[in-house]
Amino acid sequence: MKKALILAGLVFAFSLAALAQGYDAMPADALVFPIGVAGTVYEDMDLGVRGGTLNVSNIEDPRGWNNHTAHETSTTWFTYRMHRGLVNLDHISGAVVVDFAKAYEISDDGLVITFHLREGIKWSDGTPITADDVLFSYNDVVLNEDVDCNSRDGQILPDGTFPLLEKVDDYTVTFTLSTIYRPILNALSFNLMPKHKLAEYVHKLNPDVPAGTFNETWTLDTPLTELVGNGPYIVTDYQVNVSVTMERNPYYYGYDPAGTQLPYYDKVQTTIVANQDVSMLKFRNGEIDVYGLRPEDIPILLPEADAKDYSVMITDLARYGTTWIMINQDIGIPDGTDAEKRELYRNVEFREALAHLLDKDTMVQNVLNGLGTAQWGPVSVPSPFYAGRDVYGGPITENNAVWFEYDPTLAASKLDALGVVDADGDGWRDLPSGAPLTMEMNTNDNTIRIAYCLIMQDDFRAVGLNCNFQVVDFNTLVGQLFGSTGDIIMLGLTGGDEPNSGKNVYSSCGSLHAYRYSACEEPDEVDLRIDELLDLGANTFDLDAAFGYYTEYQQLLAHQLGYVYLCQPTFQYSYYNKVGNAFMASPTSTPAGNNGLLTELCFDKTLL
Amino acid sequence: MLTYMIRRTLYMIPLLLIVSLISFSLIKLMPGDYLTTARMNPQITEQTLQQQIERFGLDRPFLVQYWFWLKNVLQGDFGTSFDTRMPVFKTLFFGSRLMWTVIIAMTTLVLTWIFAIPIGIYSATHQYKPSDHVVTFFGFLGLSIPNFFFALVLMWMLVVIFHVGDRGLGVAGLLDSRFFDSPFSWAKFVNYIWHLWPVWVVIGTANMAGLIRLMRGSLLDTLSLPYVQTARSKGLTERVVTYKHAVRNAINPLVTTLGLSLPGLVNGGVITAIVLNIPTVGRAYFSALQRQDEPVIMGGLLFFSLFLLIGNVIADFLLAWVDPRIRYD
Repeated sequence: MKKALILAGLVFAFSLAALAQGYDAMPADALVFPIGVAGTVYEDMDLGVRGGTLNVSNIEDPRGWNNHTAHETSTTWFTYRMHRGLVNLDHISGAVVVDFAKAYEISDDGLVITFHLREGIKWSDGTPITADDVLFSYNDVVLNEDVDCNSRDGQILPDGTFPLLEKVDDYTVTFTLSTIYRPILNALSFNLMPKHKLAEYVHKLNPDVPAGTFNETWTLDTPLTELVGNGPYIVTDYQVNVSVTMERNPYYYGYDPAGTQLPYYDKVQTTIVANQDVSMLKFRNGEIDVYGLRPEDIPILLPEADAKDYSVMITDLARYGTTWIMINQDIGIPDGTDAEKRELYRNVEFREALAHLLDKDTMVQNVLNGLGTAQWGPVSVPSPFYAGRDVYGGPITENNAVWFEYDPTLAASKLDALGVVDADGDGWRDLPSGAPLTMEMNTNDNTIRIAYCLIMQDDFRAVGLNCNFQVVDFNTLVGQLFGSTGDIIMLGLTGGDEPNSGKNVYSSCGSLHAYRYSACEEPDEVDLRIDELLDLGANTFDLDAAFGYYTEYQQLLAHQLGYVYLCQPTFQYSYYNKVGNAFMASPTSTPAGNNGLLTELCFDKTLL
Repeated sequence: MLTYMIRRTLYMIPLLLIVSLISFSLIKLMPGDYLTTARMNPQITEQTLQQQIERFGLDRPFLVQYWFWLKNVLQGDFGTSFDTRMPVFKTLFFGSRLMWTVIIAMTTLVLTWIFAIPIGIYSATHQYKPSDHVVTFFGFLGLSIPNFFFALVLMWMLVVIFHVGDRGLGVAGLLDSRFFDSPFSWAKFVNYIWHLWPVWVVIGTANMAGLIRLMRGSLLDTLSLPYVQTARSKGLTERVVTYKHAVRNAINPLVTTLGLSLPGLVNGGVITAIVLNIPTVGRAYFSALQRQDEPVIMGGLLFFSLFLLIGNVIADFLLAWVDPRIRYD
């Protein structure tokens, strides 16, 4: 009897061990990252070995473990590593690539996208992943109005409908569109969620739970053993305000060309560090392996790099997003005043004069310590659709990129030609009628934006424009933006790879078309063409054609000067040389923020 | 005395109501709300924003919002955080926040007293001597240096001057990363102390100056009283006169500050906790303020207000306890 019990115990232990070990062999449908393969964007990377712990930092705690209800990068940094979708954005190029789907086809009419799923792949608890999980994630979570889902809006087609997702078999699904809509491919990167763990919390599947229960699922107080994912890592420990520990998912389907299952690192230990000065000190102290540094950190870190065996990478690739000033072309409409000022601001010649007063070189040198680039258009530089990159159809030449050189003399002559001269001899230019012209420029309490505004204020005043700069609370500033009050507002917007994600900003009826909300009722020719180009770029799967449309779109917006773009900091970071492949980090792999590190492809060189 | 204490305790209820109404009004007077940042996200549609406004009840009139909040509070429901989707007090006290808040508050209080009282006594008994000026100077130095700056300088010194990293020691936070998921041990306890001593130094020195000056002034007043002269004329040593007779009476006013210092310790170390990366309730509250997470702000305000009121009651009780001349009706 005793021997039988011992034998049963051994069998049970081995079974558990077998479950914990993952796949017996590399699955036939594994996702192979072409590490070291010539002709790919990964060709300079090295094959690694498994083991070790990667130490990184994050500035804020996560606010939950539910990817679909998360609205902040401090949470998605972790949930993105726990869950992946049908497609993903390539870490380096930003192009849409397959992830959990092994392939997809688009029908000839462009209305049906068929995804073929990887067979034999499992969730981190060993449960097979099938089309039912895809249907659950999309139909019952993303499209479910009870769920406060962050990715639903990205699924909306131009006619207001959503793609229809249907199951063909356990490993094939189709999305049927009402109209051709290329950006839907980006939107279909929504993360897959395990139906077997979460269906019970969705009211429409389980009427016993109140509507909205899913929003309070997988919160921070959920036992971590409940978390199940298909990404490279799973959260295994969380100490509030202290650390988050992630360990490898034994069933992750990513492999390297040598057949080694990814991720290489056994663990990713994230220390929560709320203050960036402290992050830098921890990096210098050797406690964290990678640090997304600021320009002012570089002269401190560079001298110690050799002695401490770390590298400081300074790139010329701008980060995602835009920074701009908005000249309010609807000024005075809310209270029926300032008609002449409004007419002046609506004159593109006036905005061009102001554009020639933007000394972007000084901004880059003095504010960003030389680590920045000038911006001229709405599309983020890392995007494959940025007029200038060569991922899709490009590059276009420098001559096609429109810019306004810093030229105060030209600016002054433009103002003179508009009749904006000093009529009363007080040293300040006036409106064409002779009435005083005073411009209030506002921004929020952000050191870089304040510095930009001070430079602009000086340059505007130098040509006789009475410009007064004031720092206001962020919420007040946003109120001015939406309320069409204030003369000039300096702010910024986040950005992404897909130009169509800016539709709310640049289409004439967009909710963030703050420089001229009245364009919705009274669009001009440029507004109409921009609306048209956004649709044309979205209504084709031909990426070269889309690139062409977005090139014209960027040129028009650069000329229109609705938002007048300033500068964007470039991407730089530092890492200890023991972290293999860390040199490949880029802003493109920051859909979840933090250092742009390709965590699953990094490895511990000391183990070689 | 008992009647007085009961009455003071009951007075807290209307006080807390008034505090909650004023606080709610102030929150609503602030420009924007929890969704202001979301409005700046180009990928969120107006329809989604409107749904969220309705979900969080932000479209209701001010008094209706307050009434719903109050009604729920009276039923023991303090609401759910907009941010974490967890109940308010679970958000504030999540994990070990409350424990560390209490530990840091209590240990800092004890250490501040351990150092400040003897320094104050020394300063009073060596009035106007160079040593008096020196200890007073250092006391005020701790008070005048901003806590966040002091904390940063301290960590900078540890990393750049003393190279603690070469000895395998970390800075900031509660522990070195190698101990994050390890079981409790002597080494882990020592590592906790290593990470906490800068917190004690930064917060403690800021609080010490006031206590030193209080002790010094109170003892100087007591030492000039006639009964002290009588004690000296009876032939008692200066040591006995000072410590057995004078200090015991001089310390009475300081005892009352114990109760009043408690709320300050709980919520006053927020910036230090952020810089030194310590999980505290104040830090969670600060995050809620930044994001305008209204349920958490209101819950936190009630918590800190209650602490303040309790602190005042404790101060009154202690004063009556140490000074038999004081009695309340």
